[in-house]
Amino acid sequence: MKTTFKEEDNYFVMYFEGRLDTAASAQTEEDMKPLYDCSGHDIILDCTNLEYISSSGLRLFLALLKTAKPKGSHIYIRGINEDLRQVFAMTGFINLFEFK
Amino acid sequence: MQYQRHITLPNDVQATTELGMFVDEVCENVGFDMSTALKLNLAIEEAVVNVMSYAYPAGTKGDVDIDAEATNEQLKFVISDSGTPFDPTTKGEVDTTLSAEERGIGGLGIHLIRQIMDTINYERVDGKNVLTLSKNLTKNL
Repeated sequence: MKTTFKEEDNYFVMYFEGRLDTAASAQTEEDMKPLYDCSGHDIILDCTNLEYISSSGLRLFLALLKTAKPKGSHIYIRGINEDLRQVFAMTGFINLFEFK
Repeated sequence: MQYQRHITLPNDVQATTELGMFVDEVCENVGFDMSTALKLNLAIEEAVVNVMSYAYPAGTKGDVDIDAEATNEQLKFVISDSGTPFDPTTKGEVDTTLSAEERGIGGLGIHLIRQIMDTINYERVDGKNVLTLSKNLTKNL
């Protein structure tokens, strides 16, 4: 699992690559910390190269949303594949996030 | 068709990557497509992580055994441990219609297992927790 953080056109963008399983979730939680200082920025979670996400990964996305939303930041999920979109649907997360 | 595989993992969530490879191999052997394999991975990981995280007292070592058995009709994963008696099937359903503010962080694992598997059965046998998750082989997801 690899993550890359970038600022692009005032967006905070994090690129996710590989398997976000429970083994990877502690390190990924750490990697996502810069996104928490998002006042004045919308966030894009780029999942184009994300192959897998377990509930521990979904929890990281939800925790970020719970912090970012009260600050007025939008979170967009970008490039997610059909299988992972179905996982978002099963958990109702599809209604919580915005998709690009 | 008769097919059986077994793996024993320590109660360390770092072993979930190895578990993923095991489930992928089983799914490939029974002819599930990659989309179904991904969802089975998710269900089995949730069940096994639950054991790794809660079955044994913090700081003590313990094992979790995973047996995969396939017949012509069904693929069955039997997950067993010698830890504290715990029946995950009694856990309440999460409300997936709630907003982000209302949603709790927990409870997603058992919800996903219920969504993905066809049957879930828990037994306490000879001092072990035995959780059996089955999927009909005719059904790709």
